[in-house]
Amino acid sequence: MATVIQIIFGLIAALVVGAAVMVVTVRNVIHAALWLIACFFGVGALYLLLEAEFLAVVQVLVYVGAISILILFAIMLTRQVTGEGVRQLVGGWRLWLTAAISALLFAVAIVPTVISHSWNLPAPPGPPGTPEPLAGVAELGRAFVYEFLLQFQVAGVLLTVALIGAIVIAFEERARRRRVLTLAEEHELRKRLAQPPPVEAPVGEPAPAPRATPISEGEVQQ
Amino acid sequence: MYDIVNSLINVAFGWGWPGWVIALISHLAVTTLLFAIAPFQMLFLTYYERRAIARMQDRIGPNRVGPAGLFQPIADGVKMFTKEDIVPTAADKWVHFLAPCVVVAPTMLMFAVLPWGPGMVPADLSVGLLFFFAISSISAVGLLMAGLASSNKFALLGAMRAVAQMVSYEIPAVLSLLAVVMLTSTLSVVQLIEAQAGLFISTADVPGIPDLGLGWFIFTPVGFLAFIVFFIAALAEGERTPFDIPEADSEIVAGYMTEYSGMKFGLFYLAQYVLNFLLCAIAAVIFFGGWQGPGVGWLYAQAISPANPDGNWVFNVLAGFLGVFYLLAKTYAFFFVMVWVRGAFPRLRVDQLMDFGWKFLIPLTLVNIVSAAIWVALLRWGPEQGITFTQNWAPILRWGVAFVVTLAVNVGAYIALARIFTAAQAEQGRIDLDEYRDTLTATLR
Repeated sequence: MATVIQIIFGLIAALVVGAAVMVVTVRNVIHAALWLIACFFGVGALYLLLEAEFLAVVQVLVYVGAISILILFAIMLTRQVTGEGVRQLVGGWRLWLTAAISALLFAVAIVPTVISHSWNLPAPPGPPGTPEPLAGVAELGRAFVYEFLLQFQVAGVLLTVALIGAIVIAFEERARRRRVLTLAEEHELRKRLAQPPPVEAPVGEPAPAPRATPISEGEVQQ
Repeated sequence: MYDIVNSLINVAFGWGWPGWVIALISHLAVTTLLFAIAPFQMLFLTYYERRAIARMQDRIGPNRVGPAGLFQPIADGVKMFTKEDIVPTAADKWVHFLAPCVVVAPTMLMFAVLPWGPGMVPADLSVGLLFFFAISSISAVGLLMAGLASSNKFALLGAMRAVAQMVSYEIPAVLSLLAVVMLTSTLSVVQLIEAQAGLFISTADVPGIPDLGLGWFIFTPVGFLAFIVFFIAALAEGERTPFDIPEADSEIVAGYMTEYSGMKFGLFYLAQYVLNFLLCAIAAVIFFGGWQGPGVGWLYAQAISPANPDGNWVFNVLAGFLGVFYLLAKTYAFFFVMVWVRGAFPRLRVDQLMDFGWKFLIPLTLVNIVSAAIWVALLRWGPEQGITFTQNWAPILRWGVAFVVTLAVNVGAYIALARIFTAAQAEQGRIDLDEYRDTLTATLR
């Protein structure tokens, strides 16, 4: 059983790492975004392998279902950068400097963990009174509304502020907004514009049927 | 399924295989079965929809191939298989090829948590309900891939419309389910069904109610409002008619499917009908008790189950058949409502769609969550949670008070919101008209 899990872990880890490498090497931005989605999905599968069902599902719901869509939309709306052969933002010695700084920062985060972690050993039992590791949805929810209530609410306020800000930025001024009117609305408008309806048709002939064409200049002046 | 395979291999044949092999075999068997069932559901639903919509439009519908036209979907499937597969020259080949797979795969995965009958669930996840909606949101990626890779403006427009619609209507759907989750305090689909035993009143709310399998959430005010909102959101997620703007054939050819032909088009079609089937089924499971119905609970009590290991296997079969019958009957009834709506309503405009989702359905579901909290406080909470005035009431009285209060809250919220919404929409139309006239007269003079 353990061997099977090791094999599955190897496959999923290869998927995650391979997809991550593809994200940074592929030239087409849309392809990079799609590889990133595959990477997110693999991370969700890893959570599932660790028996963290809720985290796995939330990973899929939030990252694959929402954030990746956001990324794809952002790429679509900035279409001019999607083509092949886009110039690199930095080149020459600046590229190597950037790479060195990134590697250094990553090492600062990862090296102490690698050195101090006791691999393949069960976690040491903490001092008495240490809470059990969080297991499921109920425990997570309870932690949110009792222990970490302040952080939870601050995060909520932050998200609300971001939402309001997005609406304010995206809000177009009414005067510049123009929607195509439906035929019924245009008909209504035409009736209102022709204030005194000029009935000059000869007696006996039926009045011309209202045309459903958009209002042209000549028509209004009649 | 694990038990059946285990008893067959290790007890009957005495081979003594390890547990993980048996688990693998049983899961593969269930998966194969489900992969066989899904396309047949799609074939049947296309036939069902065409016949039903034909009746509503005073036609007969497909009636030539086989008895009463029953083999028409198979003929269509053969046609779809043998058609030429055309990929546009300007298309992004690999993304174009992968998009239908990314759309179909999540709909198949959603079967993993759908319970067909008592004890007949492929995987009883503790977060089954969330899994269902998390997986369903993946297909939006596939739609966007199809739109981007086709290099066709109709496909791109359709994909953008589809994704905007799916993202917007996921919120009311999930919020309406949150109310039900508050009532049951579980995310497991199996426990959700088990909480719906009873007769009009759930046995989980009032002990001692006779169990006829009819204690559905639809009979509570909270569940009723949640069902209405969920079903409208399901129509939007499944791109059914009042919300079928992503593939509005009179505006943008076929939306994201424009550049697809042959079996790839067939896969999109399959995904759509399977998704509709699943949405109807999950609506039946959450609000109409799934396999719950008169007789199933009694039959399953006699059968072999974890609670009753020395039951009779005949009752397993009977309970299974009756449960699947109830579930499918409810599902097809909902699908009929979808067809009925298609026959009755015209297509919405994009701005109407967004206004309705964001300004009407979401506030309604938020009010519904408040009334779910009232329901839980009146029915479940006691002195230890700080609710002292209900502790001497009989359970039936508590249920009655909770019913009346939540009904009043929900009906009041609906009336108030409907008045505000219609007034706002009328005002919006008037302002648009005035503005248009002003700009028009200004340009003319």
